[in-house]
Amino acid sequence: MKKSNGLLKIARAVLPYLLAVVAAFAAAGVFIALMGFDVFKAYGTILFTSFRTPNGFVQTLLKFVPLVLQALAFTIPLTAGKFNIGGEGQLLVGATAATVAGIVFAQLPPILLVPLVLLAGVLGGALWGLIPGWLLYRFGINEILTTVLLNFVSFNLVNYVCTGPLRDPAAGHPTTIAIGQNGWLPMLINNPPLHSGILLAILVVAVVYYAITRTVSGYELVATGANPRAAGVFGINTRWMFIASLVIAGGVGGLSGALEVAGVQHRLIEGMQHNFLVLGLIIGLIAKGNNLAVPFVAFFISVLEVGASAMQRTLMIPVEMVFIVEALILVFVLLSDLVQKRVS
Amino acid sequence: MNEFWLTIISYAKLILLTIVPFVLAGQGTMLGGRTGIFNVAQEGIMLVGASVGFLVSFLTGSNALGMLAAMLAGGLFGLALAYFTTHLRMDQFVIGLALFFIGVGLSTLLPKIIIGVTLTPPLIPTLKDIPIPGLSQIPVIGEIFFKQNVLVYFSILLSIGLWWYLYRTQAGMELRAVGENPQAADSLGVNVPRARYWTAILGGMLMGLAGAYLPMVYTGTFTENMVKGRGWLAIALTFFGGWKPDTILYGALFFALIEVLAYRVQVLGTAIPYQFLLMLPYLATILVMMFSFRKARVPAFLGQNYDREKRAL
Repeated sequence: MKKSNGLLKIARAVLPYLLAVVAAFAAAGVFIALMGFDVFKAYGTILFTSFRTPNGFVQTLLKFVPLVLQALAFTIPLTAGKFNIGGEGQLLVGATAATVAGIVFAQLPPILLVPLVLLAGVLGGALWGLIPGWLLYRFGINEILTTVLLNFVSFNLVNYVCTGPLRDPAAGHPTTIAIGQNGWLPMLINNPPLHSGILLAILVVAVVYYAITRTVSGYELVATGANPRAAGVFGINTRWMFIASLVIAGGVGGLSGALEVAGVQHRLIEGMQHNFLVLGLIIGLIAKGNNLAVPFVAFFISVLEVGASAMQRTLMIPVEMVFIVEALILVFVLLSDLVQKRVS
Repeated sequence: MNEFWLTIISYAKLILLTIVPFVLAGQGTMLGGRTGIFNVAQEGIMLVGASVGFLVSFLTGSNALGMLAAMLAGGLFGLALAYFTTHLRMDQFVIGLALFFIGVGLSTLLPKIIIGVTLTPPLIPTLKDIPIPGLSQIPVIGEIFFKQNVLVYFSILLSIGLWWYLYRTQAGMELRAVGENPQAADSLGVNVPRARYWTAILGGMLMGLAGAYLPMVYTGTFTENMVKGRGWLAIALTFFGGWKPDTILYGALFFALIEVLAYRVQVLGTAIPYQFLLMLPYLATILVMMFSFRKARVPAFLGQNYDREKRAL
């Protein structure tokens, strides 16, 4: 009896998502058909590329790592009612710090250098999250604006680092030289290559979920988001909660950058943040800020993203098509919420 | 005229040319905010405006049609925002972000579908300066103010018109009341949803036009993410412009000044790496907000949805 209740609960939670996905695919399908493409072929490619070959699956996992962390960087402050739109900036500053650490201390043994590179990334991102946190605390400036504006600052910072003293003169695109091999993340599998950062990402998901649902600070964070005024009355320093949530989010965002450097690229590349922020926001919003749902949504979006690149390669349908499908899924998830409210 | 005056004229002219996207997007944001609709999709709407404006100009050879199409596209985004927030009462930020995403995606999708990927960028004619007869003959002043493209004139006239409408007419006062206290406005017979719809739509149209300005004046072609944060800067601008049409115009002058300065210093070449100059508009905006944000007078109902059936406490 109890078990079937649990299943019912899960079904009830998942069903609106399924409907939203179907509705978004249907809406975009009409558009794809009007453009004269084969809708079924397109959607087949999008949904199954990740599962047909080991390589496709590893591609999806590699995409999943930064996306899930970017989504957490958005949902952690959202728990406290704050919008962090600065995920890309935090990723880039984290990646920059990780790269600099990995180049400067290239001679250290792996056991020291790998943690150092990751730590540098976390600290760099946290610092980038501290700035809007402090501006909010001290001057009351809306964090949506400051986090976004700092993204544009970080784009130029990365361009400077990539064309400055650390530039790789052999590369045509602005990139730095590679970090020391000792700083590269160990591989889980070598062919196709999958770095061990995915374990760390899953660990972060678990820690964030535990911290928010099972600790006092997590409870205070939730209370702050639910009703800042009431939380303040009960002795929670809500303004500190805002700062803390943005700094932690920055650290998580910075880690996503450090993992890209230490695990995938091994260097800082201009433009390496491509769309991670927007996808992170979409994931966080589709998950409705629920940190338990975030990894599942992030995985699904990774599947779509990898499928979209394959679709562009084989069927010449622009990848942006899937981007719009993702935004539509979000809109339909929000609409299904509304319908549920009306019905109940 | 000597070198000095020519330099002054060219800078002043350039600054005035640069205010346009800020003024249009800023006034569009302000207009929606005055009825309580806080649009955060500017960046996406401007991108769509740039994309659609460029495409239609390219296909028809007419900048005017391009601008109209960009306004239409922006207006549709405004309509969607108004429908989702006024009719369905969904969270304004979340819907705004969703529209921002759709805008970013559409802006690169449309050129890829319609023109395809080309090696050399397809070009459209840029807007020409229209000297105003008589006035443009005045030395210096005429050169700066009365030999500009049509949207420079429009954005300044729009600012004056909006100011006059909001502060000197009955309808404008009622409109402001919607953003300050919709319940009171409602009980006085103001149609709150209608006010929200048309301000959101008109605001979206202005943002679309602001986007179309970029390919039509700056580059002659559409490039990915060419709005470069101007949409977000426009929100900051409305905040420290105190949600007033006149101060938003002055604020836009400040933004334009920084942008032109950053660009010019970069061209002249200095010891400072140019990347740091390119950071200036964003850093300057944050700096200005530090001193003006708390004092900024914001419409009391900004970002909140009005439910007529829900009685006040």
